[in-house]
Amino acid sequence: MFLCLPVCGFSGHLEELGMAPTPTNNLQTPAKVELGKKLFFDRRVSGDGTMSCATCHDPKQGFSDGLEISLSYPTTRNWRNSPTLINVAFQARLFHDGRSASLEEQALFPMMSAFEMNQNLDFMEEEIRSVPEYLAEFKEVFGDPDVTRERIAMAISAFERTLVSRHAPLDRFLGGDKTALSPEALQGYSIFTGKGKCTDCHFGAKLADDQFHALQVQENPEHLTDPRIAATRRFVAKVSGFQDYRTLAEDPGRYLVTKDQKDWKAFKTPTLREISGTAPYMHNGIYATLDEVIEFFDAGGGKGNTVLKPLQLTAAEKGRLKVFLEEGLTGEKTTFTYPKIP
Amino acid sequence: MAAGPTVKQILQAYPGKILLVIKNYPYKYRDFSKIAAEATLAARDQGKYWEMHDLLLARSPKLDRASLIAYAGELGLNVKKFSESIDNGKHAPEIDRDLKLAESIDLYNTPTLYINGRQIVGERPFAFFKKIIDEELNTAGR
Repeated sequence: MFLCLPVCGFSGHLEELGMAPTPTNNLQTPAKVELGKKLFFDRRVSGDGTMSCATCHDPKQGFSDGLEISLSYPTTRNWRNSPTLINVAFQARLFHDGRSASLEEQALFPMMSAFEMNQNLDFMEEEIRSVPEYLAEFKEVFGDPDVTRERIAMAISAFERTLVSRHAPLDRFLGGDKTALSPEALQGYSIFTGKGKCTDCHFGAKLADDQFHALQVQENPEHLTDPRIAATRRFVAKVSGFQDYRTLAEDPGRYLVTKDQKDWKAFKTPTLREISGTAPYMHNGIYATLDEVIEFFDAGGGKGNTVLKPLQLTAAEKGRLKVFLEEGLTGEKTTFTYPKIP
Repeated sequence: MAAGPTVKQILQAYPGKILLVIKNYPYKYRDFSKIAAEATLAARDQGKYWEMHDLLLARSPKLDRASLIAYAGELGLNVKKFSESIDNGKHAPEIDRDLKLAESIDLYNTPTLYINGRQIVGERPFAFFKKIIDEELNTAGR
């Protein structure tokens, strides 16, 4: 009898990072990646021309923006933390609530969103179409110069699939290099895979389970004090078909997508790769440091959650776990080259 | 977003060590953003920049001409001088110069702060700035 294991990993099991998966209907080519990089940094994709994808996914901030609550369209406020795009190619679902199943689908959401880039996609297509350099590149990449939102999303997705953190000490360790982790990080690895129970959800090559969990992370106080965030919350709930959107005072998380009570306040398990460079943490950026995150999990998560139990880690164990997260999951440094926007 | 309270905290925490330079970036799609910038600079002429700055944030979006003049009165400014200043666009050249500077360095988001050339986009907590300022002061040997 053969036991078939899923290629994406299973609880408790860690894997080296392999090649980024690519959909058959959007194959990677160097020209497409380069076009996508330009579009990623191009402010034409926002309604007022002030924002690009890179505004909230800044290479200098770990392809996030370093803020608790992500940057937003001028005069509005976002309501969630900007997730890193590092290793985003490996994710099965996108956004904290997983409402997109592909990068191609995801890319257009923030462009249309009233509190993110607030762009009209028909207008955006015409704006991009008015740039001769882009027309030549669309022709080279797609065979004809037609500029469509789908092609824009395909090119941006192709670029995003190149944002991969490779050769982290953990990868080298799993590949057989027993010296890849420092002694302290190695002790942290033992806690990560053992007493800390981190690999219950953070497993496989991507260090995430593609699932959604209601850990009862506390609401960001700004949600209660800033009326602009409340407006965003009500707006998202309304367009998601949430009946009582006017009185909604918290972030329902995955529930807005599934309307399944088990998903109330559930959020996607994030990757932990490059975690040291992508603070602050959680869907609402409530924790500024890894120490705070470790304390949260050690305490058994937020009040009333049924997912986590207290870990009772010692101070030394917490320290070693942090060393592992910082050292072990940080890939080789790469130099990022910014594009010239036509 | 408003960085004012944090900037004030920074100035208090590092007396004599920080030189603050404020540049104007009135948002192009807001009716009153330019006249509001004029108002803060007209108040600056009378020594009440921060008072006007804070009042405008508190009263936004009521930033029409009549409201601005009422705020000037509320702050005890010489209202005649203030009104003349905003009506004549006294500080328009300075504001336009700031806008051109922002454009030249591909800057579109407010607040954006530079600490010895290190760019920080968006509102951040004091601790975030403290780390950078301490590093810069150490580098400068101060």
